[in-house]
Amino acid sequence: MTHGAAWPVAAAILLSGCISTERKGLKEVEYNCPANALEIEVLQKEIKQFESDSGIRIKLNPFSGQDKLYAMMAAGKAPDIFYTNSTMRDRLAAEDRILDLRTVSTGDSLPGRLWPHVIQNGTSVDGGWYSLGNWEFTCGVYYRKDLFSEAGLGAPDSSWTWNDMVSLARKLTRPPGNDGSKGRYGIFIGSHFVEALELMNGAKLPREMLLVSIPAESADLYRRYIALMDEGIMPDLLRIQAMGMQPAQLLQNGKVAMLVESVPNQSLIESMTKPWGVAPLPRFPGKTPAYFRSASGGLSISSSARDPEAAWRALKWIVTVASTYQPTPVLRDVDFAGGWEKRYPQLRGSGFRRVWDLSLEHNGGDPRFFVRFSSWTSGPILERLQPLLDQVWARRIPVDSLIAALPAINRDIRREIGVMSETMKLKPGFRRKIEEAIEEVNDQGPL
Amino acid sequence: MRPAERQGFPLVARLSLRFAGTYAALMILGGLFLIPLLWMLSVSLQDAQSMFALPFRWIPPGRPRWENYSAALSAVPFGRYLLNTSVITASVLGFTLLSCTLVAYGFSRVRFPGRDFLFALCVSTMMLPGQVTMIPLYMAYARLGWVDTYLPLIVPSVFGSPFYIFLLRQFFLTIPREYDEAALLDGAGRLRIYWSIVLPQARPAIATVALFCFIGTWNDFFGPLIYLNSPEKATLTLGLNMLKSQVIGSGSVQWHILMAASVLVMLPNILVFFLAQKQFIRGIKIGGLRG
Repeated sequence: MTHGAAWPVAAAILLSGCISTERKGLKEVEYNCPANALEIEVLQKEIKQFESDSGIRIKLNPFSGQDKLYAMMAAGKAPDIFYTNSTMRDRLAAEDRILDLRTVSTGDSLPGRLWPHVIQNGTSVDGGWYSLGNWEFTCGVYYRKDLFSEAGLGAPDSSWTWNDMVSLARKLTRPPGNDGSKGRYGIFIGSHFVEALELMNGAKLPREMLLVSIPAESADLYRRYIALMDEGIMPDLLRIQAMGMQPAQLLQNGKVAMLVESVPNQSLIESMTKPWGVAPLPRFPGKTPAYFRSASGGLSISSSARDPEAAWRALKWIVTVASTYQPTPVLRDVDFAGGWEKRYPQLRGSGFRRVWDLSLEHNGGDPRFFVRFSSWTSGPILERLQPLLDQVWARRIPVDSLIAALPAINRDIRREIGVMSETMKLKPGFRRKIEEAIEEVNDQGPL
Repeated sequence: MRPAERQGFPLVARLSLRFAGTYAALMILGGLFLIPLLWMLSVSLQDAQSMFALPFRWIPPGRPRWENYSAALSAVPFGRYLLNTSVITASVLGFTLLSCTLVAYGFSRVRFPGRDFLFALCVSTMMLPGQVTMIPLYMAYARLGWVDTYLPLIVPSVFGSPFYIFLLRQFFLTIPREYDEAALLDGAGRLRIYWSIVLPQARPAIATVALFCFIGTWNDFFGPLIYLNSPEKATLTLGLNMLKSQVIGSGSVQWHILMAASVLVMLPNILVFFLAQKQFIRGIKIGGLRG
């Protein structure tokens, strides 16, 4: 391009960048989609069809993080549809910043198409439905089929137990050889999946807990987990963190033979070239299985949406039609496992469908670190609990020290929620529920 | 004869040794700072698997994978983002240099009541963290209808930046006033003195400000993130973020593509630094030491 031509092009870009692109005539819904180049490209193509069918234009506003969202809210310019996690969702709902979806979905067929737990996950303490998730996952034990065959071991089945898993891990562990051959660990379980095993071990973790507790089943599980590292059949967590390795790479390069990870896990499926399978989490004898099933937040509609009906129709399209989010596991009438097997043929015969079906049959729900702690206290709890947990996983303090620290943590939390309930601006429905919960906690007497 | 020379160590040799030690220490320190950049460059030429090889291979086996760069260029509309960033950076640079040199000239060469108070006020705005002003500014721009346009990113530069004003003022103070007085006697006005006498002598300081401003605007992530909504108006840093979400959030993690894109985004910064290096170091020395 000559210098003469470059100036008008730059001027045109500057001018176009300085003019707002709002279009008249169409109903417009602004959607805060994830800032993902591929997702944006696919959505932009499909939105045109939705626009011509519905007369509603979806304007994409891709960004992640909450700074921009809060600035937009303060200016009364929040996107009509945006992602919320359980903690921020409850607070935004209590401040009347997001819409109760029941007000726009009355008479609609979509709520009937959803799994009941999906609506429950999006429901807040006042009984309002504030978010609709479009994704869920469970977790399982991925394993290298070739390493199992090499060791003469059969693949794990749905009824295998923790002890079976430990026994297999022992047989699969190889110390590094003197000839320079690399060693191998039997299993790797990231600390964020410990809670999934706590549920399997029978720990009762009710939703909306204001205070922190560690049931005996959880403590038992923590000890079993640490024993894996003590015995040398699982790599040290700190070492894995320091190496910055993706779990899928640990399995791919044979550093571990079994790996607990989310199911489905697109990154793992796409990067594994060695033969692999996936088994459900191991059971604990005498305990009812409760498989971890998590939703990573959901979509909410801003209460400042210019046209809530149009926003609901756009949200419905995003969840049920937009190909980038399909097949979605939140719909009852969708064969989610079949859809993924079609997309990734290597899933057929891998055990994926069995793991998925079990998580629906024995749904153990979300982890407490996301939703089981009340959204009002989860922040303060995690601030105090997480550093101690990290020390337990690093084997610097015993589990008993963690349990001994709980009364002090809960005393702090009580103080903090007292202050919060006095200072926070809340809708009456929320205030009443929170005060009831605080009273219930106080009735339990001094800690 | 000096004592060192008496001991058989000529002064030149002692000084050379001392300089060699200093340079060696500086090179080691510089090398440490270079490691992340070299790692980025190395990964950008490897495949997805070999970057996790232990021990890390700085020079990958086989041929360098230049195709990572073409993959990075095609993964996002890189050309569009480059043009958007260039237009914003050029506008901000032009306005910043004009406004800051004018204001600094006023603070350093023109006597008027309240000048020092106004200068202190101007400099004190540096104390305000960006987070404090973010929401009020966003609300103001939203009310003006400027959100999702380049105006919130460009227009503030028309009103100067306290840090650059401070830097330039300190430099302008070092230029002898006799030049101004001679020009005044010859009939030159204030603007003529600013344009024909002060600016030509302040080239190192202006180059320094230009470099800081270029790098700051080119690499700015937060401003475009907050004020731009439409994907087609995104800048390179936002594009890089979208690419990051794409390669990490879904599919296999393609760090090599992300690093290739990062090298491409960083390249203009390095080029500009090397082009302006001489003036930049002079500007820092004079502005920093004599101020």
